[in-house]
Amino acid sequence: MTPNDNPAAEPDQERQSECQMQAASADPAAGSLKTSRRDFLKGGGMLGVSSLMGAGALMAQSDNAQAAAEWAEHFQGNYRLMSPQEKAEARARLERRYSAEYGKKVTVDGTEAQPGVLMGYALNVRKCIGCRRCVKACVEENNQSRGEKPGERIEWIQVLRMERGEFSKDKMNQGYPEGLGIQVGGNAYTPAGQVLEGQYHYEPKAVPEKEATYMPIACMQCEKPPCVKVCPVRTTYREADGPVVIDYNWCIGCRMCMSACPYWARRINLTNPVLPNEAMNPVTHYLGNRPRMRGVVEKCHWCLQRTRKGRYPACVEVCPVGARKFGNLLDPESEVSLILARKNVFRLKAELNTFPKFFYFYD
Amino acid sequence: MKKLSITALIFAFCLGMVSSAFAEEEVTCFESRKGASEVVKRDLQPGWPNVKCSPKTGAVLWWGDPFDGTVPMGDTPLLTHVPPGNAVVKPRSAKLAILPLCGTACHNGVIPPTLPKDKKPKAIPTMEGLLPDAKNLQHGRGRIWCLDCHHTTQRNKLVDNFGDPLSIDQPQLLCGKCHGDKMRDWRDGIHGKRIGEWASTGKKRWFTCTECHNPHNVQDGARNRGFIQLEPELPPQLPKGMKDAKHELVHGVH
Amino acid sequence: MSFAPDYIRYIIKGSTKFYVWMAFLAFLSSIALYGFYLQNTEGLIVTGLTSQIHEGLYFANLVFLVGVAAGAVTIVFPAYVYHHKAMHEVTVLGEMLAITAVIMVMLFVFAHMGRPDRLWHMLPFIGIYNMPGSMLAWDVLVLNGYLLLNLICGFYYLYTKYTGGEVNRKFFMPLVYTSIVWALSIHTVTAFLISTLPARPMWFHSMMPIRFIMTAFAAGPCLIILIFMIIRKNTRMWIQDEAINLLSVIITWCLGIALFLTLSEIVVELYARTEHANGLYYLMFGLHDLTRLVPWFWGSLIAMLVAFAMFLIPSVRTNYKLLPVACVLGFGGIWVEKGMGLVVPGFIPTPIGEVTEYYPTLIEIMMSIGLWAMGFFILTILLKGAIGILVGDVRFKSAAQATSNDVANSGGIAAHGPT
Repeated sequence: MTPNDNPAAEPDQERQSECQMQAASADPAAGSLKTSRRDFLKGGGMLGVSSLMGAGALMAQSDNAQAAAEWAEHFQGNYRLMSPQEKAEARARLERRYSAEYGKKVTVDGTEAQPGVLMGYALNVRKCIGCRRCVKACVEENNQSRGEKPGERIEWIQVLRMERGEFSKDKMNQGYPEGLGIQVGGNAYTPAGQVLEGQYHYEPKAVPEKEATYMPIACMQCEKPPCVKVCPVRTTYREADGPVVIDYNWCIGCRMCMSACPYWARRINLTNPVLPNEAMNPVTHYLGNRPRMRGVVEKCHWCLQRTRKGRYPACVEVCPVGARKFGNLLDPESEVSLILARKNVFRLKAELNTFPKFFYFYD
Repeated sequence: MKKLSITALIFAFCLGMVSSAFAEEEVTCFESRKGASEVVKRDLQPGWPNVKCSPKTGAVLWWGDPFDGTVPMGDTPLLTHVPPGNAVVKPRSAKLAILPLCGTACHNGVIPPTLPKDKKPKAIPTMEGLLPDAKNLQHGRGRIWCLDCHHTTQRNKLVDNFGDPLSIDQPQLLCGKCHGDKMRDWRDGIHGKRIGEWASTGKKRWFTCTECHNPHNVQDGARNRGFIQLEPELPPQLPKGMKDAKHELVHGVH
Repeated sequence: MSFAPDYIRYIIKGSTKFYVWMAFLAFLSSIALYGFYLQNTEGLIVTGLTSQIHEGLYFANLVFLVGVAAGAVTIVFPAYVYHHKAMHEVTVLGEMLAITAVIMVMLFVFAHMGRPDRLWHMLPFIGIYNMPGSMLAWDVLVLNGYLLLNLICGFYYLYTKYTGGEVNRKFFMPLVYTSIVWALSIHTVTAFLISTLPARPMWFHSMMPIRFIMTAFAAGPCLIILIFMIIRKNTRMWIQDEAINLLSVIITWCLGIALFLTLSEIVVELYARTEHANGLYYLMFGLHDLTRLVPWFWGSLIAMLVAFAMFLIPSVRTNYKLLPVACVLGFGGIWVEKGMGLVVPGFIPTPIGEVTEYYPTLIEIMMSIGLWAMGFFILTILLKGAIGILVGDVRFKSAAQATSNDVANSGGIAAHGPT
């Protein structure tokens, strides 16, 4: 849906594509029995002609090339099923559109998965100091919407601050605190260590704070992703080298994937993204950091535009304490493989059998 | 005469102010810790800067070219699987450019060749002014002193136990003597920081020890940690429906 | 043939009351159309949805309306399986309600989606239809199937009444039996939509489908009873007491079981009070001083309990002055419990523990009202046509006779009916 669309043409087009679903319900008076075959053919023919007229009107609009490009983009198929030539066409269309929109030369890469690569990630929870530079670096790299109105600023990484519990003598007989519950005595209810209920909006002067630990969470790039299973149009899928990606042009915005993700990794573009021209990163990948549009879901994809070309993701590079590690799980010499071999590694919510490729470790 | 000189002074002053206003705003941000490696933001190509800086904390958030300004790392033991030229570091030798000054400013062109007699360095105000952290060395809990790490005569070099000088761009050869666990993990990429290519044989810029850790003050006072505190970046946006985040401070499982 | 023109001619004629009602609904529907426009240009940011709580009023309404559609089976089942005579007379009205409810579900789906213009992506062959993996794809299948079944059954029946012929039982009965079973499936699949998500502990339990069915079979008949009473008062069609009383009994049972399921959920979740119970705790008592939904929960619980008590007492249940009150309480209570009480707390807290709140914006509320108005618009038309055929106002006789009958009875909604 773009502003250039001729509103008169749209209803015809929708009706044509959904006539299978709506023909029966649109006119209850007609019932399921057509009046006569002739009438039906007449009606169908009228429908077809008006649709073509609508299409023609759209094509013949001003900005003919732009309208044609928008039309083609609107009706392109699912990226994964396209032939290499169609993929190249889709990317070229996007390059033209983005370059015009952002006033600079934008490239939309389509590098496929390299054989022999399974990307993996490891994060040292002992080291994280909660500085949130990974969050901001990700935003610098990946063209998220960044406006001021609530819902316009999207960040893919959430850093959870967990307070260390304090066990003190005077809480010994406090027992189970206010609210319901059977009093069991003791102060062991103190939230200590990792709890689900942490804080996200902390703003101290300096981190790490003595009384807190931090843990960043983003897409786990699961091997058995619940989001992929529930998607009704298969727009989100696991690529051969590991990351779970989204074809933004195919997403219908039903948000089932967001409900299914146990790690709250996915975000919805509630409105047209706010992305200033200077801040836009012009080096993009079709399945990666290219600017999204209203109504589609997005998430971390391990900086595909960089990792497919061999470079570390932005979050890995910026971490000032070196807590983030990335590499090829199939390469025994990569830092991630060495971490899995040597360090104490765990996954979040492992009981859900999602088999994430994002590991947490401590040393 | 006096009137003219005063006018000239005022004129020169104004000119200086105006010219500085016209001068390009130089944005500098620090890569790991303030004082270790600072970078001036510039465009590598039109629209593609070398770094992107955080407006809140002044830290580098993003590198346009990870290998900008780097030189190959020297030979490091057991890093043989890395193809030559694929391990680079940012040199810090340039920061020691003050050393020639030492010779002319204080030692008449000749830096003293011998160790101080009692291994307890005398407090010299000039040197303390240059490096305040050295005053009360917070490293080793009183078991090490300056010349355990710094070369006796070539003061722009570090030293190993054989008395041979080590480049200050390869502190890992020195630090790894005592911190072997960390050295092993650093060499394998598990400890510390590397940017560049993720392949195990790829080209990476390695951050050396002293780029993150201040060797003259590792304990950071009562914090007793190896890494200083940093200013955090801004929290996420409050979603619609929330006035503030105060509820996060209300503790406990009810 | 003349069925369509006769039908249309009948439904567009009515009393002033009818026209005022329809105009009012049309006005509300236009607000919904404006809402659609806003959502398709500005996006869902005009609603109160966030990435944390990304299903709100629209999803709640659509889940509830699937239940109402399934609730039509409470008429069809007794009519055709138990040969309940009074129900048999009004079966087709239930099917009309089912058709309307499914259309409303589809309208709310359009309102709820981020990109309704891309709905064609879900069509098989043209797009990708993720069967059997995606529960949403199953939901689309069963809903469309149910709509088709009811359209065929309903309009075939009306058509035979219109021509004065006999229903071909060999063709008709299998479809009816299928629609009975299918009604159960639509709401079960909708329940599976949310109960198969381990990421949402408040929904991830096997009680969800039976809870959905019970509340559907309580709320649907509540609405049906209210509609029947309106039909009695405003048309020539008389609906037997037995039909209404049977529906009341069904409501009593189903509301009772639904309340029992609610009670069991509360006990199970709050006895151990793990973090998985946070959603329910938020709903009942609030979390961290955030209590926006607490009054809604207790209000709906009280409404349902009062309704249940009223339905339980036979003298109240058969008192047709008190029965509408009980129905309104039951319908409203279940609407709140299934909507705000189920959908929104499922997202509080997020799977990684962030607690946020949600309030629907004015546009969201007006759009929901507008879509309900659209539904009632369609329902009025369908019911009017059906009643017209059932009472004999619309008949395929000779053309002249049909026309004169139509003109004479065009005051379709006139206050008649035996006392």
